[in-house]
This record gives sequence, C-alpha cells and structure tokens, in this order.
Amino acid sequence: MSWRVFAETESVCPVCLRVIAAEKAVGEDGYVYMRKRCPEHGEFSALLWEGDFVDYLLWNTAPGGGNEPAVTSAAEKGCPYDCGLCERHESAGCCVLLELTERCSLGCPVCFASAGEARRPDPTLGEIAALYDMLMARGGPFNIQLSGGEPTMRDDLPEIVRLGRERGFGFFQLNTNGLRLADEPGCAETLRAAGVSCAFLQFDGLRDSTYMALRGRALLETKLRAIDRCAAAGLPVVLVPTLAPGVNADEIGEILRFALAHAPAVRGVHFQPISYFGRCALPAPERRLTIPRVLREIEAQTGGLMRREHFAGGGAESSYCSFHASYRRESDGTLRALPRRTGGCCCKSSEARDFVAGRWGACGDGEPEDGFDAFLREANERVFTVSGMVFQDADNLDLERLRRCYINEADPERGPVPFCAYNLTARDGRALYRG
Amino acid sequence: MDEQKSYYVIDPEGKLTCHKCGVPLVKANAVFGYLDNAFPVELPVCPKCGFVYVPEDLALGKVLSVEKVLEDK
Repeated sequence: MSWRVFAETESVCPVCLRVIAAEKAVGEDGYVYMRKRCPEHGEFSALLWEGDFVDYLLWNTAPGGGNEPAVTSAAEKGCPYDCGLCERHESAGCCVLLELTERCSLGCPVCFASAGEARRPDPTLGEIAALYDMLMARGGPFNIQLSGGEPTMRDDLPEIVRLGRERGFGFFQLNTNGLRLADEPGCAETLRAAGVSCAFLQFDGLRDSTYMALRGRALLETKLRAIDRCAAAGLPVVLVPTLAPGVNADEIGEILRFALAHAPAVRGVHFQPISYFGRCALPAPERRLTIPRVLREIEAQTGGLMRREHFAGGGAESSYCSFHASYRRESDGTLRALPRRTGGCCCKSSEARDFVAGRWGACGDGEPEDGFDAFLREANERVFTVSGMVFQDADNLDLERLRRCYINEADPERGPVPFCAYNLTARDGRALYRG
Repeated sequence: MDEQKSYYVIDPEGKLTCHKCGVPLVKANAVFGYLDNAFPVELPVCPKCGFVYVPEDLALGKVLSVEKVLEDK
C-alpha cells in the first residue's frame, strides 16, 4: 500500500507504551490512517477516518486556544505520563468521572474500567468530599459523572450527590447499567429527589444477542424496565450504546427510533464506538468504527431522517473526539435538525458543560411556571440529541488529541487525568495509570 | 440610559410608577414575542399606557435562556 503522509504527531507503542513519532497518512483506499514504528516492537497502523480526506480536514472546526485549564501541574516526563493535568494540556475539564466503587453487578466482557471484583474498598464519603474539593480547586465546578464500577452498588449515592451540590456542582449523570433502577422500585425516585440529573444508561441495542456479546447476559427486558421506571420518576435518560463492529453496528437505526419513541423520557443517544482498552474480550477488527462510518450508518439506518450534514465535531475538545447533532421534535411528529454548533460557540469547556447539562438534565424545581419557564422546559423536552465520543486506545492514540481532552477521571493523588490516558492499556493489559 | 430610566420611577419602598402617566404599575399578564413564539408572563404593567416593566434579572436570566434556545446558541 502506498501512503500520502499529510501530518505528523506523536503516539505510543501499543506493546510497550513508549512515546513514538506517528504520521497521519491517506492510504490507497482514500481513508486516513495513523502509522507509527516502535524501534523495539515494529510497525503499526490504525484506521482513523473511514471517509474522504477532504471531509477529514473540514471536520476540524475546533478553533483551539483560549480554553486552557485554570490550574495545572508541572510537566516532567511529558504527555501522556504526567497527566493530572499538566501545563501542556490545552483544554479545561468539562465532565469529570468519579469512580465510586470497583464493584459491579455485571462482569462485562467489555469494560474500560475492568470492573467487577473489587481490588480496593470503595472510597469513603470523606474521600469523595476531598475529590470534590480538589476539583473545585482545579477549576470546578465540572459536570460530574457518577461512575465506577457500577455506582448504584452504593446505597449512599444521595449523600454523595448532596456533598457535591453543597460544593457548587450542579450536574450529576449516573453512569449505570440500569439493573438496580430496573429491579428496585423507588430507586429512580430516590435518585431524582437526591439531585441526580440524568441516567447515562448503558443500552447497547434491542437484541438480547447483543447484550450476550457485550455484557454476558440477556438484558433487554431489564433495560426496558429501567427506562420505564426512570420515566415514571422524571429522571431523564440518555441511552449509551457501546458500538462494536459485527455485534450491534447494524442496530444504530433501531436504537435511534426506539429512543425517539421514548422521548422526552429519553433525551438522546450517546454512542461510544468501542475502544480496545481495559477489559476487552473482542478482537480489534480490521476496520474499527470511526466517525464518518458511524455517521453514514446513522443516515442509512434512519432512512435519511438523520443526516451526515446535521452533525458537527467537538469544539472545546479535539473535533476528532466527538460528534453531535440536535433535533427538535415538532408537534406534528416531524424532526427538525437544529443548526450545528460550529465555530465561534461552545469552544470553551464551560460552555460545553452548560450545553450538556441543558440538553440531558432534568429541569424544573417544582416552582410555579411562567411562560418562559414553560417554554424552556418544553423546549428542553422537545430537543433530542444524538452524539458520540470516540475514545482512543494504544493503537490510535494521538497525543495532540489527548492534550485537548476535556473528559477527566478524578484521581486523589494526581488530580484530573484525561480519560484516554487514565484508561490506556498496553496489549498485554498493563495499565499506565490504573493500579 | 437616562432616557430609558425615565419610563418608570421606583419609590424608596420599591413600588413602581409609570413616569409618563404618573400611575402605579400593576401586575398583569404580558406577552413576549420572539421568533414566532409567544411567552405569557406576569409583570408590572402601566394600566394606562401599557408600558411593561421587565426586571433586569428576568432579561438576563430566563429571557436570555429562551433566546439561546431559539437561536440554538
């Protein structure tokens, strides 16, 4: 294969995780690849963009600059070894994950956190309060993702949310498999009353075979019950499918239609094309799912209801890390694409933070509504968001992208660590950050 | 700015009077219109000339939020 190299960057060797030079190149098939060579472990290439090269360039609408973290630490070993965030990092935080437990009610064949059997005890409320304080000192408040493990394994989630709200955090998304929401009457009500903003619900499709492949159990009925219970409790739901080639990439359209039929209880769908880090029993395929392929699938599988041109890349992070489109569900049942948020807006993490909170979060505080309140609530409920985030693994890690990451993991020793650094694993499973 | 302030007078107790008509503003239903949308809201209104007083926190709060939604900002 001949290559047309058009850019240079840095990556890591997928075997030893040392930093190595990498180049971005167009292959004979017209797609964009990352190519790199480790002096010890040889050459590697990874598909970055299963689409036209010009589209790849045009996708980059993030202006860059002006979004630096408020507080950083000194860089000694350099990216990606000093994350926490170091002085070379270019984006302030938007969403921060709090890993509240390593316990999980599932033992998925696929898990970025390799959760299941707890190696460490759950952090105490005091330790969680200290994490919140650390985040406020590092430029908070951020949107908080209550994560794990499975966060609902803890009975003190209301107290954990209260600790955060007391400190000025205003948006809490519960990153959950939905088992407890489905099985325990009153759970969704309790969490909604405690101030959880939305359920970020693992929802991989509408076939039990999909759940068998990705989660090891037939879960469809449980997921449907979790959605019903959240809807009854007024706890908004965002469906979060992990998309794996050969497993559920053909369910994209079904998932979107299902989500629309369950709006406004379901506020949107957030796709996560699978990354090959953490615990991943699936082999990396020849063609991983990249942004243009997912957008083509969305267009084809929805029969053009949602189209490629409705979508834009990220603004406050690298454009190549995410995609999103917003729609308004009109009263006549049609769907209208809202203008794309490109160039000039949502280029700061703080704006992205408020945008996400507005689109996914519960609204209304029980006070009487005037015309504006009613409009804002109704507008919020009529907006349906389709988005996705493409995480990086050791094969396709681009340190330029990593430096613009705005999804962080809250680490008690290091501070906020970019998600794709925190979860980076070598091919033998060795983690850079996770103990 | 001076001209804008002259539409109403606030007395020391915070009561509002229409500057032009000299009568107290009363709570009444007003309707905001923006980009083909109408927003009924209760605000102080002059019963004589129809002047509507829009508090600053409303203008910079909910009204701004509504504008952002309508303009997708």
